[in-house]
Amino acid sequence: MILRLALTLALFQSPPHLTAQNGVTRLPGRVPAAALPAIDSIIAAAAAESLPTEPLVQKALEGGAKNIPADRLVNGVRKGLLQLRQARAIVSHAVPGQTPPEGHVAAVAAALARGLSGPIVERLITAAPDESPGPALHAAADLVAHRFDPDSAADLLVEAHNKGLRGVRLLDVATAADHELQRPGGRSPSEALAHVRAMLPNVPAPARRP
Amino acid sequence: MSPVDPRLQEALDGERDPGDLPADLREAYTRFIAAAKLLTATPRISVASRVMAEVRQEAAAAHRGNVARRLVRWLGQPVTVRLRPVWTLALAAGLAAVLLVPWGPNSGPTPGVAQGIANFVGHFPGARSVEVVGSFNDWSRGMLHLSDNDGDGIWHAEAVLPAGPHEYMFVVDGERWVPDPLAGRYVDDGFGAGQQNSLLIVRPVSAQP
Repeated sequence: MILRLALTLALFQSPPHLTAQNGVTRLPGRVPAAALPAIDSIIAAAAAESLPTEPLVQKALEGGAKNIPADRLVNGVRKGLLQLRQARAIVSHAVPGQTPPEGHVAAVAAALARGLSGPIVERLITAAPDESPGPALHAAADLVAHRFDPDSAADLLVEAHNKGLRGVRLLDVATAADHELQRPGGRSPSEALAHVRAMLPNVPAPARRP
Repeated sequence: MSPVDPRLQEALDGERDPGDLPADLREAYTRFIAAAKLLTATPRISVASRVMAEVRQEAAAAHRGNVARRLVRWLGQPVTVRLRPVWTLALAAGLAAVLLVPWGPNSGPTPGVAQGIANFVGHFPGARSVEVVGSFNDWSRGMLHLSDNDGDGIWHAEAVLPAGPHEYMFVVDGERWVPDPLAGRYVDDGFGAGQQNSLLIVRPVSAQP
């Protein structure tokens, strides 16, 4: 069964350049007809600014699937465009002189949607300018979602990076901090972060699948 | 065949004392009795049994010959194989199964380097159907259904997904959109009603435990 699911899902994974081109063509029939012209124009604006369009297409498809009314659906997609613009500004500021990769911009926009502030995002990108910022940003967003101080969370992740942790291993740093916070006996957030900092880079990996 | 003398027949049947027979008949009687005893003492061997015994004897003698020489001779001879279509198809199906079915302890799906395995679990007692809809399937309905085979209300599905973040929601009974209570990560869906999508970060297979 899972093989069939994998094959089905694989059909939906189109190469990025193709999805950017045919994104709009996937919308008719999936979003309210009343919303289609406005959404088309938002996506066209993103493409004209060399912003990634797939997040906007996904947001429109999501709204259509959820039967969101046309006006709210258009607002949701427009909000996505604004986040992409803000994201590109942050990436351009963090790594000046380079054309921001679309993947970086999309990852930063997703982090902004999760509630990370621009300065925290910029700091994490600056710490590892040549790497995909997604995992570090999600790790920071995980920590902030669990009420850790955003600056302290960023400090911890930068230190973890400096000690060799990369990619999804940064997510394990956030998980370890959360576990320390929930440990019986009670640790304060700052104590939990200090404890994880002391164990770097040897934070526990997730449990192995049975 | 000449008929048996009635007096001899009576003696053989026990109806006449053999001592009353004339000398020539008494001698014949003695030969008959001796032959009868011989027949009862010797096991009866049919013609077929004797023929088969001869055949087995020859086969055993042949088997004692040079096995290697006979093997070489057999390899050099043309062989006619007779197959029935039904058995040929069964043989082909069995061979295909052996060749195509993956072996080993992990004979499930094999995700690519940039993919990982995602598990979806939800507790929806009494639900008639549960499916996952998200960015990994273009928010399309009917693509990824959870199952609850034992009817305990715990629904489950497993899928190979591209590594990275994916927003999703459960759709219960085809109409109720529910965030995954076990997701641990959530993000506002941006449509202004305060609804949150669940967020799943799929680890690439190289980093999956």
